[in-house]
Amino acid sequence: MSDNQAPQAPKALRGIGNYIDDRFHLAKTAEKNLRKVFPNHWSFMLGEIALYSFIILLLTGVFLTLWFNPSMSHTVYEGSYERLRGVEMSEAYASTLHITFDVRGGLLVRQIHHWAALIFVASLVVHMLRVFFTGAFRKPREINWLIGVAIFSIAIVEGLFGYSLPDDLPSGMGVRIFQGVLLAIPVIGTYLSFFMFGGEFPGEAIIPRLYMLHILLLPGILLALIAAHFIILWYQKHTQYPGPRRTEKQVIGTPMFPGFALKAGGFFFFTFAAITGLSAFVQINPIHLFGPFTPTSITSGLQPDWYMGFLEGSLRLFPDWFDFDIGGYAVVTGVLVPGLGFMGLLFGGLAIYPFLEAWITGDKRAHNIADRPRNVPVRTGLGAAGITFYGVLWLAGSNDILSHTFQISLFATTWIFRIALIVGPILAFIITKRICLGLQRRDRATLEHGYESGTITQLPGGEFIEVHKESSPETVEVLQSAKYQGFRTVPPTVDANGVESPAARGFLGKLRIRLAHWYTKDNVSFEDVVPHSALHGEQRTEEKAGQH
Amino acid sequence: MKWITARRRHPLAGYVVVIVALAFLGVGYAFISPTSNHAVADTVAAEQGEVDIANGKQIYTQSCMSCHGEDGKGRTKEETGSAVAWGPSLEGVGAAAVDFYVRTGRMPSADPNVQMPRRPQVYSDQEIADLAAYVESAFGGGPGIPYDVPGDAPQRGEFGSDAEYEAALAEYEKNYAAYVGGGDVETGMRLYLTNCAHCHSWSGAGGALTDGRWAPELDEASPRDIYEAMIVGPGAMPVFNDDTISPEDKQALISFVKNLQDEPNAGGPFSLDRVGQVAEGFIGWTIGISLIVACAIWITAKQRAHD
Repeated sequence: MSDNQAPQAPKALRGIGNYIDDRFHLAKTAEKNLRKVFPNHWSFMLGEIALYSFIILLLTGVFLTLWFNPSMSHTVYEGSYERLRGVEMSEAYASTLHITFDVRGGLLVRQIHHWAALIFVASLVVHMLRVFFTGAFRKPREINWLIGVAIFSIAIVEGLFGYSLPDDLPSGMGVRIFQGVLLAIPVIGTYLSFFMFGGEFPGEAIIPRLYMLHILLLPGILLALIAAHFIILWYQKHTQYPGPRRTEKQVIGTPMFPGFALKAGGFFFFTFAAITGLSAFVQINPIHLFGPFTPTSITSGLQPDWYMGFLEGSLRLFPDWFDFDIGGYAVVTGVLVPGLGFMGLLFGGLAIYPFLEAWITGDKRAHNIADRPRNVPVRTGLGAAGITFYGVLWLAGSNDILSHTFQISLFATTWIFRIALIVGPILAFIITKRICLGLQRRDRATLEHGYESGTITQLPGGEFIEVHKESSPETVEVLQSAKYQGFRTVPPTVDANGVESPAARGFLGKLRIRLAHWYTKDNVSFEDVVPHSALHGEQRTEEKAGQH
Repeated sequence: MKWITARRRHPLAGYVVVIVALAFLGVGYAFISPTSNHAVADTVAAEQGEVDIANGKQIYTQSCMSCHGEDGKGRTKEETGSAVAWGPSLEGVGAAAVDFYVRTGRMPSADPNVQMPRRPQVYSDQEIADLAAYVESAFGGGPGIPYDVPGDAPQRGEFGSDAEYEAALAEYEKNYAAYVGGGDVETGMRLYLTNCAHCHSWSGAGGALTDGRWAPELDEASPRDIYEAMIVGPGAMPVFNDDTISPEDKQALISFVKNLQDEPNAGGPFSLDRVGQVAEGFIGWTIGISLIVACAIWITAKQRAHD
């Protein structure tokens, strides 16, 4: 302990501490890291939900592997679930039934595993949206953003494989769709399918293979990526929202120990409690009701888990108008484009965005202060458009359920979603951008005029005014953050001698200039704003009387 | 009032007001909205009883003829001169079809242009038996009513005394248990998942079909309803006659459906109506992640700046 004033630890602990420190010299590192500062805001806790639900997934997953038998060999069920006794099924399905009905706590752990998977991917999404809308992906954090995108995409595949393991009715249908998308890949599709399944669908190889991917390879990669994500976060420090004393070089928040550790620990248990509560009360994936999968079985009203829903939706929406033949070989664009193209669009778009924005704005500086979404209306609008696009696809994935529940014609839902898929994002962009600009104007007004106090005063001349009061220093600091945006001005394209700057030449240069202009042109200017310069109130009315 | 006055400027006050107002509106609407008419038709068990074909003819004349025609050959919109009065031919449909459509309340229909939902039955069991006998005799025979398959449970209103009712109920329950317990569930499961589930869904919750039609849910359907639907093939449903699926296999299939519906939800008191993944995803987002995010907001909350 460097602090001599601190109360001494008990002798036994000191002995152990000194023993370890003499050998590993940890005291200095530990002190530095235990005092690491974490900024306080609820939106900075979203990534932690993902971390905690991943830990829960690992723990429950290990429990499930103790009894799960990833084999497609045939067996006749003789366990304690009366309804399916004597039914022919695979070992995988029978062992899942065994976990459900004959292992103590097995059904609860299975449900925790499944709910935690849904929460895991959901928290990845909300975390990623927070990072996107606050611009926390900008330099120096682009690499960590890419790692995050990789975690997101692998988590989806990991979820799909886990869903496929019990060999019940929905999992067999999910694997069948997966195989259909593989088959649609031109030239190599059939080879890929045969390679993956070790022959024709379904064969006997797919579940052991998916099992290996699900419990070994993909979680290993995920764990490594999460560790890297966390180490980079630790090294680069957290972003923070604008506020007093918060600068690009100084983080304000709670130290890791004891304050933040306590909060984070409590939050872990809350996350665990919420997931366990869901698992205890809400039935999820009742495989014993579905029955085993056979290649002749098929059912309506069945979807993948929510995170695959957008792909299901794109398959349902995309028409077959563009399918064509080359020399008798079909190119099934109706499956290829929605099955793989939309997935590429999502992950590719997410991965490329930080670099695209940096290129457009020409902003090469490091940013540790997060943007307020309203101060970057175009990015916020693009995000809203992306959410709408994804959301429409996601809804379309459940169009039969929606059609049946709300009694809308199934064909009508297809067309509603097809149109919404194109019109929705455009509308979302325009509306969101307008809201952002409106909020900017209000911010500027608050900054200049203070806030409305609700107090009405009558002036000696008989006029009634509402007294405006000065905002708190915190508010002023937050509102003024709009000033510090890096890319407010478009660089001059022509220098003093009328020579075009090299960056502005050529098609790409011109495109970049135009995009940069589009990116910032509507922003409300905060350049000349002096806080509280136009406060309405008694003390100022006399000065202003002449101007009225 | 002081309590409210102190909190009316709380940042959450607006949301609370909106939620209270919505709850008030919703509950108020539930009170004043007209409740659906649950009047159960006065039904009398007509099984193996005598039928009165003349009475059947009279019912047909009153309620069916305007659309299906006097000769039972059906009438088109042009013939009736009305867009909501036309009907298909009843030649050879048989007594089972009449029993199925009328007993499930799908007939008489108010508008033949849309799919008819299940409704409370309009005619008594005796009247339906009379009508079915008339249609069978006048327009050519088809599949008969499968009286050996249990239909709807007897209602108290059909009997004069408690003792009679209880005796009938016990008899019905014995037959029901014998029929539903007698089928081979594995065969039933294979048949159901191969032939039925792609429209009625694995749980029998029904599903959407093309052209605005839907496959109805099976939870209200009695074993006899399901049996009749298979031999009649109503709407878009194909006919599964005794050559396609034997009566024993039909019994197995019905056993599977009814056993699945009676199966308790082992996974928890909230089964989400067995809708499956869509409902699970919805709950995961609206309750799961929302609750956890609310907790994050709670543990990082601090005193707001004064404005």
